[in-house]
Amino acid sequence: MYKSIDEINERIRDGSVRVVSAEEMPDIVDELGVTGALREVDVVTTGTFGAMCSSGAFLNFGHPEIPIRMEKMWLNNVEAYAGVAAVDCYIGATQESTTRNAEYGGAHVIEDLISGKSVELHARAKGTDCYPRTSITNEFTIGELNQAIMVNPRNSYQSYNAAVNMSDRAIKTYMGYLLPSHRNITYSGAGCLSPLPNDPTLSVIGSGTPIFIGGANGVVVGEGTQSSPGSGFGTLMTSGNMKDMSPDFIRAATMTGYGVTMYVGVGIPIPLLNEEIVKHTAVRDEDLKTSIVDYGTPFRDRPVIREVTYAELKSGSVEIDGEEVRCSPLSSYKKAREVAAELKSRIENGSFTMALASRPIDSQKRNKPMAEKGYVYHVNEMMVSTFVTITGQESVKEAAKRLLKGETNHLPVIDAENRLIGIVTTYDVSKAFANDEQDMTVSEIMTKNVITIAPDAPVDFAARTLQQHNIGALVVIDASRHILGMLNSYDLGDLVGGRGRR
Amino acid sequence: MKLMVEFDSDGVQYPNIAAAILRSGVMVNVERALIDGDEGWALLDVDDRDAGKFIAALTRKGVSIRIQKDAVSHNRTDCVDCGLCISICQKQVFSFDENWQLVVESDRCVLCGRCATYCPQRALSIQK
Repeated sequence: MYKSIDEINERIRDGSVRVVSAEEMPDIVDELGVTGALREVDVVTTGTFGAMCSSGAFLNFGHPEIPIRMEKMWLNNVEAYAGVAAVDCYIGATQESTTRNAEYGGAHVIEDLISGKSVELHARAKGTDCYPRTSITNEFTIGELNQAIMVNPRNSYQSYNAAVNMSDRAIKTYMGYLLPSHRNITYSGAGCLSPLPNDPTLSVIGSGTPIFIGGANGVVVGEGTQSSPGSGFGTLMTSGNMKDMSPDFIRAATMTGYGVTMYVGVGIPIPLLNEEIVKHTAVRDEDLKTSIVDYGTPFRDRPVIREVTYAELKSGSVEIDGEEVRCSPLSSYKKAREVAAELKSRIENGSFTMALASRPIDSQKRNKPMAEKGYVYHVNEMMVSTFVTITGQESVKEAAKRLLKGETNHLPVIDAENRLIGIVTTYDVSKAFANDEQDMTVSEIMTKNVITIAPDAPVDFAARTLQQHNIGALVVIDASRHILGMLNSYDLGDLVGGRGRR
Repeated sequence: MKLMVEFDSDGVQYPNIAAAILRSGVMVNVERALIDGDEGWALLDVDDRDAGKFIAALTRKGVSIRIQKDAVSHNRTDCVDCGLCISICQKQVFSFDENWQLVVESDRCVLCGRCATYCPQRALSIQK
């Protein structure tokens, strides 16, 4: 049995169309079978509402009386890209304010515009014969713009890795605050209600597919950037008229310690044209797998801790290493349902019709990592392999001698098996002497929580670690806490000085 | 329930909490505290049934006691019910109801403030 788009649109026009949400579909297919479901249901609505950093909008301001070709511009002190001449710009969601940092950014400008608030434009230009003006400052609202077109390069991920932190230090990520030692898990996406899991082969969704975006009736532009449907991580480039959007479905947000992002509501209706499409929309959270990965490592290829289904994630707790770990989303399932419900009511009331995609999206494509042409230095190339150590039982006085002899400020403390157990610095030793404590043992004055680094870590990461902890050296250790070397902050200066150049 | 106990310069001179525990025979859990030579505060968790007895034992000069209520202020307009706060909070103040709407149980809060710092929508604040 087949159904055509024209038949479905005819039913939308005469009000007899039958629409259900993707959440309801598995039970309907169980009850009626695939053929029965195809006969009874015309459209399945999907929805998702989550942080979609790769979003933004093209704005056109109209020409002022003395024309200007804007080259640099700021909207409420958030820089927008002006290299699209002359009174156009692209405001990216994650761009941060020059005055308020991560508390206000491109996403906030977009939300303010959608909410009808006035926004300040400031632009500069060099001035030409045809565009004589060199600067402009003006207030505007969305109603005064010729166009405000949201174009989001990467929206609506098919699925996304869940995040955990296996390190012993809390981290601030775009997946939220991750407690140390896997004490919480965060995830994103609406699972079986999300658009792409309901059309994993991209047999319906393609360029030109009508969608709900941010409250507006919009469209899929085509393949999203970084799209990798071949590995289960497809994305879509989406667009919609900002003038039709609502702050109910577009929200600026700040991930503390990471930066600005934008929550976008995206809903895609799946017209049920044949049995294959019906089968795909019967997907359950139990069938949708993703990986829990360790965000505590600085590398692109983060270790997978375990596979997990969206059903497990949505249960609120997942087992890792025999422990129940609490888990929560950063996307809103309640809002995702609102998106799917709003889309459903628009189709039912005839204000949203279906269309076939004008061009398909490659469903086999896989994302490639960056092939870095420049050389990336690792810690083992910059560290010093000759170093002095001390044991915890030795005296502070001995530590002082060892520091002097080694011409160093950092003295790692080791146990009988040569494993790192602490560190003393010239500061610690001087303090002990000043307090007449030179007869104390090293273990009494040492810092036990030593900041360490692995030999294969990139030096950029080492520099960031030094800066974060405001320290002068890192102890380089292997997995069994044996010391391999020391990485001093002044060694990293060589990178800038020339040794690190090839 | 949670008791916010504040000590003035007289209150910090005497082991008030220890004395109140001994006098009342009620066990309390000190969840957070900051006390120095001049003043201080402590957030205590005490079983609801024993609270009256403990408060009576703790009521002395230099000590002020108030029952900690509505510690977390939740702005429903700004909140999008994402639920990120749920797993960040180790005291299980936050949860979802059956419709995936955020539920806030302020009486579990120990005022750490982490939820307010990390809420993406800045929809949470802590009343101090």
